[in-house]
Amino acid sequence: MEKKQIDFLHKDCADATSRSLKILDELKNQKLLIVGGTGFIGSWIAELIAYLNDNYQFNTSLVILARNIDSFKEGKNHLASRKDFQYISQDIRNINELPRDISYIIHAAASPDNRNHVSNPLETISTITKGTDNLIDSAFKLPYLKKFQYLSSGQVYGKSKSRNGLITESDFGPLDCNKVTAIYPEAKRLAEATCCAYSSQYKLPIVIARPFSFIGPYQSLSKPWAINNFINDALNNTTIRIIGNGEPIRSYMYPADLAVWLLKILISGKINTAYNVGSPYGISLKDVSKIIMNIAQSNATIDIRFNNSDMSRYVPDTTLCEKDLGLQINYNIEDTIRRSIAWFKL
Amino acid sequence: MKKIHIHDVSLRDGSHAISHQLSKEQIISYCIAANNAGIATMEVGHGNGIGASSIQVGISKLTDEEMLTIAKRNLTTTKLAIHVMPGFATINKDLKKAFDWGVDLVRVACHCTEADITEKHISFARERGKEAIGALMMTHMASKETLLEEALKMQSYGAEGVVLYDSAGAYLPRDVKDKINILVANLNIPVGFHAHNNLGLAIANSLAAVECGAQIIDGAMRGFGAGAGNAQLEVLVAVLQKLEYETGISLYKVMDAAEITQEKIIQEIPTINNISIISGLSGVFSGFAKHVARIAKENELDPRDIFIELGKRKVVAGQEDLIVEVAIELKKNISTTKSK
Amino acid sequence: MLKMRKKLKVAILGTGNIGTDLLIKILRSDYLECSYFVGRNFLSKGMSKAINLGVRVSDKSIEFLKSNPKLYDLVFDATTASEHIKHAIIFKEFNKIVIDLTPAKVGKLCVPSVNLSEVIHFNNINTITCGGQASIPLAFVLGKVHPNTEYIEVISAIASKSAGPGTRANLDEYVETTEAGIIQFSKCQKAKVMLILNPAIPCIDMQTTIQATIKDPNMDLITFEINKMVANIQKYVPGYHLLVPPTYEGGRLIITVKVKGLGDYLPSYAGNLDIINCAAIAIAEEFSKAKLK
Repeated sequence: MEKKQIDFLHKDCADATSRSLKILDELKNQKLLIVGGTGFIGSWIAELIAYLNDNYQFNTSLVILARNIDSFKEGKNHLASRKDFQYISQDIRNINELPRDISYIIHAAASPDNRNHVSNPLETISTITKGTDNLIDSAFKLPYLKKFQYLSSGQVYGKSKSRNGLITESDFGPLDCNKVTAIYPEAKRLAEATCCAYSSQYKLPIVIARPFSFIGPYQSLSKPWAINNFINDALNNTTIRIIGNGEPIRSYMYPADLAVWLLKILISGKINTAYNVGSPYGISLKDVSKIIMNIAQSNATIDIRFNNSDMSRYVPDTTLCEKDLGLQINYNIEDTIRRSIAWFKL
Repeated sequence: MKKIHIHDVSLRDGSHAISHQLSKEQIISYCIAANNAGIATMEVGHGNGIGASSIQVGISKLTDEEMLTIAKRNLTTTKLAIHVMPGFATINKDLKKAFDWGVDLVRVACHCTEADITEKHISFARERGKEAIGALMMTHMASKETLLEEALKMQSYGAEGVVLYDSAGAYLPRDVKDKINILVANLNIPVGFHAHNNLGLAIANSLAAVECGAQIIDGAMRGFGAGAGNAQLEVLVAVLQKLEYETGISLYKVMDAAEITQEKIIQEIPTINNISIISGLSGVFSGFAKHVARIAKENELDPRDIFIELGKRKVVAGQEDLIVEVAIELKKNISTTKSK
Repeated sequence: MLKMRKKLKVAILGTGNIGTDLLIKILRSDYLECSYFVGRNFLSKGMSKAINLGVRVSDKSIEFLKSNPKLYDLVFDATTASEHIKHAIIFKEFNKIVIDLTPAKVGKLCVPSVNLSEVIHFNNINTITCGGQASIPLAFVLGKVHPNTEYIEVISAIASKSAGPGTRANLDEYVETTEAGIIQFSKCQKAKVMLILNPAIPCIDMQTTIQATIKDPNMDLITFEINKMVANIQKYVPGYHLLVPPTYEGGRLIITVKVKGLGDYLPSYAGNLDIINCAAIAIAEEFSKAKLK
């Protein structure tokens, strides 16, 4: 990674910690394990921990466990060589013993790439369900374990029946389990149930986070997701193609907020509780493409084609995080997009 | 007024009808005419798509590069599209170059039950900022539930539409309705239909698809396509106009383009002959027609027998090598019956 | 006496379907002995099969082979291409022979019926692809009989069920690797390879057709040589059959073969996987014969 990129991330970490340093205090002198730590979320947690250690003497040691550590290290020299970071290259399903002195675990293993979910659904199910079971079973033996956080997904809500358009933690709707696209959320549901079972049967301190949608550094513009493509097209001054009517509502959280939220939920989240993680400020695809065009000062054109009646909404209600844990959104949609575009232009 | 996107496959599916012998001059005159008629997207290339020129399915007269660069130079508003079949064409050898030659849109095609082989190609097109549409071929061979599964996969890969191909011309309107309905109800992306006229139903089937909510319809000038040809594009425009759908294509100009196609490119306007009826009934890929005719003649066999046998074996597009095997087998059987 | 023969100690790395099928084949071999079956998870099906068969197993993967180099002389690597690239360095360090069944292409390409005697001077041998194993021997014959062969084309159809997610995600790699193999072994100027998945039930057997443009082909000689080659292949791939003998039709030469799997651990419709394993065994046995004379 280039220096300007590292500086950029440090600026984000500085902004995030300036507002939330106190609430993360309990991480000091702890050993944190992040499983599946090489993805988007894992990379952000690693950046933030590194920043806290370097600037606020947190003395938190981080163990990063993932299937492919080498690919993680490749682009991230500034993290790869750190003395406070330890790396374990392993498949979550094959973990047997973990370092004894771990006090916190974030379980973030599972590709969020929906292309993998449908091309290799059995592997998807296996990693999520067997992996979660195997990891918690290993975590069970840790004498100093204070909290285990499972990263589920906002997709577990299925076709949510929320009334005001914001999905609360209890707004479950139907999922057609007999469809290939339901495999990922169904597996996530079973993984949550596995968490619930361990916490009920063995009183393991488990908390669940359900992430929604994000945009920012460490994401790839080539993923076939609407906002990623919009930014890509805007930066290339081509055509932003919105398939459908442009009315579906989504929301986007900036990853610096995400990292703080996850760590706070890990430390202070109530056991046996699930928390939505994402932005509660919904915006239509049409409007988000306009904001992108403005901020990127792009000459791209917006083409809304193939009308349909899709009026879906995928926006979390985050009252629980705000009230229980005092968390807040620090980057509104404009900030999020401005910062993202600045990053992708680097 | 509801919009229908007509996708022109004349210079790709039509290649089957002339054994992939499109010339430079033909491409130039066609592109100018199609562009002028307001065709939004048109395919150019070998009948089985880019990278498919081979002994197996026929050698093209021009290279992919020649065909696509010539076409690109002669199109201003019409977008240039290609058909690509993973297993025939690779990203490195073909797709990358196609984008360099100016291709705007890719139809990534596979046999209707194998959508997961399209992931890499669709992803690559989307990563390059190009339009990618999923194409499920020979869809008469799979149930509507299977087709939905496969279409959902393509949607997940980033396809901006999924088109059901009736590659064998085997559909009846009720089959079209059945299958298009379930896709329209469950996909977030537009659904399309690609007809063949083996049973004389290309236009009727296309209309059935439109009535069920399909928004992309494939057509070819004068029906210029494999076997009995595709849905005749200028007729589609006329009929959709009568039904008050908006296609963005000028009827007079598209008729002029069809005239040019007939004069300069089509050796023989596709008709429904006995072979195409049998081919449609036995559900064999329309692109087999020329090969079967040749091999039947060489082996003094009735081409209909070959089609029926191929249908029994459930061959898929690209398995043209089986024609020789089937012919040898049939000949053997004939001689044993005779000797008995 | 064959029974008294000393067997070469081989390890299998990777306990999936390919690795387990190899194990069954090794247990039958007069020349090979499986000293260790090595993977990552004792709970995998392959592992439990091996344990039931009384084979020694380890779940420490490459680490185990690294710390116990004396336990084996040759390794079959049935993991993945990206892993093999790392493994290759380690095996080289320990001076072990490795037969690589992944598409990593680090080592010497081998088709037993064509260059078996040559490859035993190498330490890392790659089995190319299923289509390559089926077609390269035939392409080799064409190149030998007609050194001026301009173009060879190979199309394989396999049962959809026999193509796992790895194969499906790497069709491009299959095509490009097989093409390179055809050109290398036949010395023709240009090659084209295609792969088709056919979902028909019951599953089709793997079928490979090779077509070539050759001017005035010597059909008698080609037929003679092809028959000889097919017989040779059948020695190590019993399910390999000539379906369409060399036929000159419409200016092209066409030959079709069918590969039925042995059905050891892999299903019998997976002739495409079986042929690779059969080739790997043939290579390992050749090493055994050479080393333990």
